[in-house]
Amino acid sequence: MVGLSEGEKHFIRGGIAQDLRADGRTRLQFRAVTVETGIIPQANGSARVRMGATEVIASVKAELGKPTILHPGKGKVSIYVDCSPTAAPMFEGRGSEELSAELSVALQRCLLGGKSGAGAAIDLSSLIVIEGKACWDLYIDGLVVSSDGNLLDALAAAIKVALSDTGIPKVNVSLNAETDGEPEFDISDEDFLQFDTSSVPVIVTLTKVGKHYIVDATSEEESQMSSAVSVSVNRLGQICGMTKRGGAGLDPSVIFDMISVAKHVSQRFISLLDSEIAAAEAADAE
Amino acid sequence: MEHVNPLTGFRVDGRRPNEMRQLRGEVGVVSRADGSALFEMGNTRVIAAVYGPREIQNRSQQVNLKEALVRCEYRMAEFSTGDRRRKPKGDRRSTEISLVIRQTMEASILTHLMPHSQIDIFVQVLQADGGTRSACINAATLALADAGIPMKDIVTSCSAGYLCSTPLLDLNYIEDSAGGPDVTVGILAKMDKVTLLQMDAKLPMDTFETVMELATEGCKAIATYIREVLLENTKQLECQRG
Amino acid sequence: MSAAAAASGTYTPAAEAGGKRREKREELRRHLAEDADWPRADGRSIHDCRPAFMQTGPTTAASGSAYAEFGKTKVIVSVFGPRESKKAMLYSDTGRLNCSVSYTTFATGIRGQGLENKEYSGMLHKALEGAVMLHTFPKTTVDVFALVLESGGSDLPIIISCASLALADAGIMMYDLVTSVSVSCLGKNVIIDPTSDEEAWQDGGLMVSYMPTRREITQLTLTGEWSDGKITNAVELCMDACGKLCEILRERLKDTAVLESE
Repeated sequence: MVGLSEGEKHFIRGGIAQDLRADGRTRLQFRAVTVETGIIPQANGSARVRMGATEVIASVKAELGKPTILHPGKGKVSIYVDCSPTAAPMFEGRGSEELSAELSVALQRCLLGGKSGAGAAIDLSSLIVIEGKACWDLYIDGLVVSSDGNLLDALAAAIKVALSDTGIPKVNVSLNAETDGEPEFDISDEDFLQFDTSSVPVIVTLTKVGKHYIVDATSEEESQMSSAVSVSVNRLGQICGMTKRGGAGLDPSVIFDMISVAKHVSQRFISLLDSEIAAAEAADAE
Repeated sequence: MEHVNPLTGFRVDGRRPNEMRQLRGEVGVVSRADGSALFEMGNTRVIAAVYGPREIQNRSQQVNLKEALVRCEYRMAEFSTGDRRRKPKGDRRSTEISLVIRQTMEASILTHLMPHSQIDIFVQVLQADGGTRSACINAATLALADAGIPMKDIVTSCSAGYLCSTPLLDLNYIEDSAGGPDVTVGILAKMDKVTLLQMDAKLPMDTFETVMELATEGCKAIATYIREVLLENTKQLECQRG
Repeated sequence: MSAAAAASGTYTPAAEAGGKRREKREELRRHLAEDADWPRADGRSIHDCRPAFMQTGPTTAASGSAYAEFGKTKVIVSVFGPRESKKAMLYSDTGRLNCSVSYTTFATGIRGQGLENKEYSGMLHKALEGAVMLHTFPKTTVDVFALVLESGGSDLPIIISCASLALADAGIMMYDLVTSVSVSCLGKNVIIDPTSDEEAWQDGGLMVSYMPTRREITQLTLTGEWSDGKITNAVELCMDACGKLCEILRERLKDTAVLESE
């Protein structure tokens, strides 16, 4: 999709080598981030995140479901991403499936933690209504509306904001003798439980162009990458997931270096997002 | 169910029978596209993006060498409906709506001015609350205008129905799913020509005329609004140029 | 036990690794000793891999093929090509690598469960892409079809290692053999080459695909919560195991060459 001439390619690579990118940023500087919450009224929580020309929407919907037999004390969370053809003509028809699947898997890996539930962004046991009988199923949907690189970071940020916007209705359970002890649910319209989103990580993707690596790459810069490492880090600086993209191999020492840089950058990004969330909530309240 | 209050004559969402929902249009929402627009009709919200005119990507799709190829894809977001359901891409309903939008827009685009090229229209439904078809056509018109694609006229669309012996303009989801007749009209606003007319269920001939008249009036109101949005946008562009 | 293990092709990383790395490993060992090393269900210690049985040439119709059996996990990979790209594809001056991973319906305990791992095809492609010299076969496609006969844990790393053996068997030019090993984090312990039961209860998982001779990591995925020091140790452990596994792959390739020359 990105058609660049030799001169342009050289300009991008040269700029990165000199720590001054085509749009005037330094290597470890993010584009301006704008955040809006509550844009999908039908959902329990939603958010739109814009980073430069990249725009993504995340929505969180909660439905009552049944916990699995293996994990009776846990709710379920599923993450699914779709890339709209409005973002690029190549996403038309089935063209977006590959990228959508890649992004979905990367987000699942970074947000859902290990199989035992350790390191998950959302405490699954907090989603339980009655153990073994009823739980909340969270459906997290991401939609890429406009694409200019760094989709994974933007999606993770949008999900983080959408979760902080999410209210799960309070449920009153009444056990009824007539229906054989099957519980009846009374879903409240007014009382909502807020999520604790402090442990939801952000994803920082470091894109390697030439000898250096950059954060928040535009699609022009991404076309010049040799490989990229996406690291998800939570507020405590713990690493909750990692994915490598791009074909070229990386020296192990470079990877360790990238991890420590990502950890450092992520703390800045988290505080930036926090202030944007607070601003969006204040704007919503007005 | 009472769709029109027999005492006050108001509809379930508090509108009068011939009242349209709140309209909102915004141009240039997808910065990477050649033209794009957001269009809202009440709670129905769609985004349209236009790419082109550009070189034909797949030569086998080219039918007429002297005219531009217009393509359209309609897609609903996973979270756009009240109850979440996972549908495979390219289901029949989407395919049908894609076709309807394409044919409606093709009637207005001056395809003979752009031979050997293709124009892609992508519409994405963010929220569905009845009348997505109409909203998509209106959004596509705005996006095509934003992309600077030559058109004969502005195409607008609006729906109308007939419930509780009252013709109703611009049905929402509850009214749409009530099972009554639903007439969707698309017109070329200035030339006063109909390019799209769809109806399901049955309607007596004389009632049909009043309902269609109502929908056409709705289209004209939307056309006035769209013209305002485009003028406002042009003024802003002019300002930016200084 | 070590003698018997060597005979069946077990490889235990660590033995002759470099000084600095050994120190780190000793540190890790001490760390784990505090948490009492419990025996694994199949009698391995936490740093033992399953015996690796690998063979080239199970499918005769393919340009190259390989079979791998690690404990219960059984994988067969066939490589076709380089052959003409489908006509719909545009001209390209590099070759294309097409990877596909499928599961037999009886691969898992519950019928058809393996179909959930749709992302494996893409991940296999990413792990191999950096190693194959795509510029040596322009305009053509190499197809890599992997079939998991039985899933017994660490499926993807075994598919990747087996696929690189099959590519080598097909004579596709590569910079280096890619081998892959995964580890699971269970409580304080990091265990190598986990079985499916161990994977089901893991707190975190890490998979590394590595080109030992070039010392390059081609694919890396991590889930769950890890502290920084643990990651470094786990990655080094994987890399070490990858190196050992690569030796086994090389042996198998030499065996085939000897057989053919006779």
